[in-house]
Amino acid sequence: MTQSAELEVRNDVGLHARPAATFVKTAARFKAAITISNLTAGKGPVNAKSLLAVLGCGVASGHRIMVSAEGEDEEAAIAAMRTLADRGFPTDMPQN
Amino acid sequence: MPGAGGVVVGPIWRYAGGTGGGTAGSTAAGAHGARARAGTEGPDHAADPAAAIRAAADEAGSQLEALAARMRDLGRGDEAGIFDAQAMMATDPELLDAAVAGVQAGADPAASVTAAAAAAAATLAALPDELLAARAADVRDVGARIVRLMNGVAMDLPDAPAVAIADDLPPSVAAELPPGLLLGIALEGGSATAHAVILSRGLGIPAVVGATGLVAAAGGATTIAMDGETGELVLDPDPAETAEFAGRAAALAARRLAAASLRGRPGATADGARVVLLANIGGPDEAARAIDAGAEGVGLFRTEFLFMKRQSAPTEAEQVEPYRRVFEAFGPERQVVVRLADIGGDKGLPYLGLAPEANPFLGVRAIRLAAGSRELLATQLRAIWRAAGRAGVTPSVMAPMVTTLADAQLLLDLRDEARAAVAASGEPLPARMETGIMVEVPSAAIMAAELAGVVDFFSIGTNDLTQYTLAADRSNPALAYLQDALHPAVLRLVAAVVAGADGAGIPVAVCGELAGDPLGALVLMGLGVDELSADAGSLDGVRAAIASVTRAQLAELARRALAATDAAAVRLLARDLLARVGSGAAAGPRG
Repeated sequence: MTQSAELEVRNDVGLHARPAATFVKTAARFKAAITISNLTAGKGPVNAKSLLAVLGCGVASGHRIMVSAEGEDEEAAIAAMRTLADRGFPTDMPQN
Repeated sequence: MPGAGGVVVGPIWRYAGGTGGGTAGSTAAGAHGARARAGTEGPDHAADPAAAIRAAADEAGSQLEALAARMRDLGRGDEAGIFDAQAMMATDPELLDAAVAGVQAGADPAASVTAAAAAAAATLAALPDELLAARAADVRDVGARIVRLMNGVAMDLPDAPAVAIADDLPPSVAAELPPGLLLGIALEGGSATAHAVILSRGLGIPAVVGATGLVAAAGGATTIAMDGETGELVLDPDPAETAEFAGRAAALAARRLAAASLRGRPGATADGARVVLLANIGGPDEAARAIDAGAEGVGLFRTEFLFMKRQSAPTEAEQVEPYRRVFEAFGPERQVVVRLADIGGDKGLPYLGLAPEANPFLGVRAIRLAAGSRELLATQLRAIWRAAGRAGVTPSVMAPMVTTLADAQLLLDLRDEARAAVAASGEPLPARMETGIMVEVPSAAIMAAELAGVVDFFSIGTNDLTQYTLAADRSNPALAYLQDALHPAVLRLVAAVVAGADGAGIPVAVCGELAGDPLGALVLMGLGVDELSADAGSLDGVRAAIASVTRAQLAELARRALAATDAAAVRLLARDLLARVGSGAAAGPRG
């Protein structure tokens, strides 16, 4: 069973630099295989645990993304990614 | 083109790691001082190349994390962010999978890593977003680092003090070079705002950027002479040239020493015409350095540090303390000009909720934020009133990006509203707040006479005024040649601002980089500027240059500068003047 969520990126820079790092570090906490697609730019799906792949999606502010997870903790993973998007990919999130 | 001042003659050290391939082969090509090299096998390469790649990648990630931590300790958050991202790239699963796949297909391990990094870099470079595309160089640099570790090649450092020559010096390399080993930096790419240039200013070593063809021309050379002030580079100088550059270096050292001896005297020409020399500071911790440098006050107190790297706007209470510390450091006799937050545009902040802009430098910045975020500026003004009351000083405040009379009027309204709000809380308050505007938009310079009727002072920001007058994005290295504030078009606007201010009897300051350049300072004073505000480290040189000339000489310089047709001609005029009065022998080699 794959879990997916379509999300809107609402921060000021999109998935650049630190917000992208936050996104990738969050994805990496889960065992599930997680992918991200940039629906607006038609890129992906790519590995959400790879900073290079996520940067390569060129997600700008206002773009819509699709996050999918498959694995034992897929529901928790999608919930976490959704929370992250709702909060605008905060860069000062505790990461440990 | 000049990057950072200073003169040096020294051996060449080529940095090639971040460019082209970055494989063992190309590292060797650039390894003038490399100790080990690819021939000495790293451990167990042949046995398990995939494991060797992963081990080297882990090590690279740890090194980059350590660099990030060091930068954070030094308060250099931007560089720390770059290294954090590079640390993640080093252990990126997609990058490593691609590299391992290359090995399994029979490729050389180092070449596989380089190819994987190059492919990732190409993907990023192809993105329409410039910020993302700029990360391409970071990925290639990471690939080069992993390859170095796989080959057991120590970081390609010079063996002895040398001048670094490169296409570009990535921040990760620049930050790791032990300062004593670097005599100067000469780059084929880069601009005056490149990381490497900022680093060299901090180290007090010369830098030259944008030297097209340098790397190829330096092919077999072993020595280079460079003058960071003129941008001159001489490969394998002959004895006469070596002597000349050595002479310039000695004269420069003597001039710096002599200039330091003038500290504590106010800025004035040889015949007593005064100019107030002020410091630019970026926070309370820089006040002591400014006072030590003999600053007569602060002409630009940047407040952005309070607003960056946060998830919500700073409160009034949070702002009062830093303002009060600076006011108290300079006391009631010395002016401190607080600049309202110059944010928005390219310095977007998450809590402002601004839409991304196609042309951020022409966008919603600074005072223009008042339309949608009035409370941001109101809060800052209340904090300044409160801090000034507690410190017992009359504060000065200026707003950046003022474009119209309505902007200036808005500033005055915000100031008065803030005062009323603080007064209502019963706090002691100064009677007034000197209220000025930055003149950095051409419209404000052109309308200076009208603006002078409503505000207390002008402060010209020459960096932005140049960018807007010459229509050249200052962050675009390809247009760095247009980013020269000595261009007569900019100087004529400065003259217009002075004329407008004189009509109303208000003072004109300059707080852009031009004010800290001795040549620029002479031209500006000649144009009738009353105050010059610059980095504390620039004040000695400016003070000494001004002390060596007369009022009449400055007036003549200004007259001829206004009639010039390009920036180079203006620079030459100013350099000639310094050379004639003797103080500038080192600053004024034959153009």
